[in-house]
Amino acid sequence: MQGKLPRRRILATGLATGGLLALPGKAPAAVGSKPLKGVTLNVSCWSAPYPQFLAKYIPEFEEQTGARVVYTTPAFPIYNQRMDIALATRSEAYDVINVTFIYIGRWVGAGWVTPLDQFMDDPKRTPAAWDAKDFLTGTTSAFKDSHGRLCAIPWIADIMMAGASRYDLIRKAGFTLPDTFDEMPKMLKAVNGQQGIPGFITENHYGWTFIGYLQGFGANIFRNPPHDLMPVLDTPEAVHAAGFFSDLLRSYGPKGALSYTYDEVVATLQNGRTIYSTENEAFVTPMAQPTSKVAKTCGFSLFPAGPKGRFPQLATHGWGIPAGSRHKDAAWQFIVWAMSKDLLLRMFRDQGWSSVTRRSIIEMPEFKKKLSHNGFDVAKMYLDTIDLAAKGYMAYRTVPPYPQVDRQIDIAIQSIISGEKTAKQAMAAAQTNAIAQLRRAGVKL
Amino acid sequence: MSARTGWANAQRRAFTLGLAPALIVLAVVTLAPAIYLVVTSLTPLTPVNPASLLNFSDPLGNYRQALFGSSFLHSVRLQLELSVITVGLQTAVGVGLALLLNLESRFMEAVRTGFLVPMVLPPIVVAIIWKVLYTPGISPLYGALGALGIPVGSLITNPVAALPAIALADTWEWFPFTMLMVLAALQMMPTEQLEAARIDGAGAMQMFWYVRLPFIRPALTVAVLFRLIDSIKAFPLIYVLTNGGPGQATEVTNYYAFIQTFNFAYWGYGSAIATMMVAGVFVLSFAVNRLGGAQAADE
Repeated sequence: MQGKLPRRRILATGLATGGLLALPGKAPAAVGSKPLKGVTLNVSCWSAPYPQFLAKYIPEFEEQTGARVVYTTPAFPIYNQRMDIALATRSEAYDVINVTFIYIGRWVGAGWVTPLDQFMDDPKRTPAAWDAKDFLTGTTSAFKDSHGRLCAIPWIADIMMAGASRYDLIRKAGFTLPDTFDEMPKMLKAVNGQQGIPGFITENHYGWTFIGYLQGFGANIFRNPPHDLMPVLDTPEAVHAAGFFSDLLRSYGPKGALSYTYDEVVATLQNGRTIYSTENEAFVTPMAQPTSKVAKTCGFSLFPAGPKGRFPQLATHGWGIPAGSRHKDAAWQFIVWAMSKDLLLRMFRDQGWSSVTRRSIIEMPEFKKKLSHNGFDVAKMYLDTIDLAAKGYMAYRTVPPYPQVDRQIDIAIQSIISGEKTAKQAMAAAQTNAIAQLRRAGVKL
Repeated sequence: MSARTGWANAQRRAFTLGLAPALIVLAVVTLAPAIYLVVTSLTPLTPVNPASLLNFSDPLGNYRQALFGSSFLHSVRLQLELSVITVGLQTAVGVGLALLLNLESRFMEAVRTGFLVPMVLPPIVVAIIWKVLYTPGISPLYGALGALGIPVGSLITNPVAALPAIALADTWEWFPFTMLMVLAALQMMPTEQLEAARIDGAGAMQMFWYVRLPFIRPALTVAVLFRLIDSIKAFPLIYVLTNGGPGQATEVTNYYAFIQTFNFAYWGYGSAIATMMVAGVFVLSFAVNRLGGAQAADE
């Protein structure tokens, strides 16, 4: 096996990809020989709609380039554990991988993922029409290393927004979707229990669903991430935010609200069994699709703003190349193909993939029309949220020891909702434990 | 005489040589990973820094951190609670049902087979069944309790009820194991002993306590030992039902080790916890065996 592909092959690959990009929806059958013949690319991503959609098009890439693609999509936790080990040991087992958002600090920070600028800036490897600048800044900024080099191409922007399965009940009670935290309890008090339906739910990963509230009240996880990682979870603002958020779930949530995972939240909204939620935007399609029980009654809005502003959370995942890969050029050609405008557009048209990261697609009238539901312009909300996140308030999430702090936040919010502790006690405990965890991880505080 | 000794030596050598491949495979498959586990427990191993595998500067650091911190000890306390409740319930239900089902008839055979179903289900399926049963809104359990005038909130999100709820699900899954072991022992019981006790005028309780229980005790000891060891490995139910929560109400040692190892990437620390768990299982096995042996000797 060779470490690098011959120059001639690289050139041919570039031409092949250029051809691919020039022919929307079709593989460039007429472009010369198969430049990646004999190359086996090992590609892996966690199981999600996009990688599943992509699987259907991979034979086209193989047919076009001659490469053989071994494509695996294990479940999220299994993927991350497997990849953590593969990357840490500089394994050659993978050529294209998903760089998982919560692992960016560890994987990119440790130099386990190849910087992609060298490929993007080379016109022989990347046709100008591919347009790397088209990817939204709010999604690409997370993937930059300490030298400012991009280490992954984002394939999804998972944003947090608000949605109501029974907007009709909210309107009937004389309210609209809340734009601020102040409006939330008023609206929820009015609609909670209408037709026996509880008012509010979020998934029980509070290190994710609570943070928009924490920041909206002017608090944060760390003092100034990623440079100053002193936790600030016990400030009066943080305690107030924890009390406010827990009270929403305790007062207006369904029985057993603490046990709701994301899938359960989506299912309960889709069936109209809970009225309102602040959650990942992936709940839009299940609620709005024609077969949904709430297709005609659902409504959507931006994540509500707190007294200190609006902080909808954003997670992004991207294609990257492990440092240990022996087929980096071929791997880049795969990424160029997978993230081309034409293929993404085909995926949107053929399969309804809408969490795209290219501005040009989001701004297309066709896209906006498809993401308009009951008069709500979801495409605009999506774009506005990603632009908001570009301000950098998500920096806390990509620091390597965040999973440890995330767990402390989960425990704190669960303790408040279950009545084990007051908000002040729970957040004080979270602060103490977070400091201990960070010190243990070698962070100097 | 010397010819016989020579033959015995040759025979011993032949047996040793014959056994050697199996012993080597056993050592590689069983002992080597265990030794590796112990070795990594002496390091601060984390995938972020592969060189940490060779860092033996503070070999007892992980153990010190576990034994002098609160989280590990909290998890051990929960583990003990869970093990005592589940093994106690499984033993009681298993023995009770075995006594009831110890009759020769086709109907009883069918009933016995039905009782075995939970044990042969994949653990994750069992967890999903109980997730449905414990979820208000879709579970008939809460409706039934409400109809009986005992309205309760979600059991798995209540910090007091969550661990007993896990124990109940675990009991449902594993009582057939105890039942099966005891039933097998009961069916091997000589009828003469029972006849003699009956002629002597023994009542049902006396028959159980003085005749049946002593007879099934060895099988029961083995069943309890297996269930104790298995209870320490409880994972799928907790992973699916409570995720260790609410708060840390169900974060038993096994789950605690999982979080430390796979969520936080403290592999060395996770190995130390696993090593202590293995040691605990050995001590437990030894104690139960001794207890069973001592009781058998008394009789």
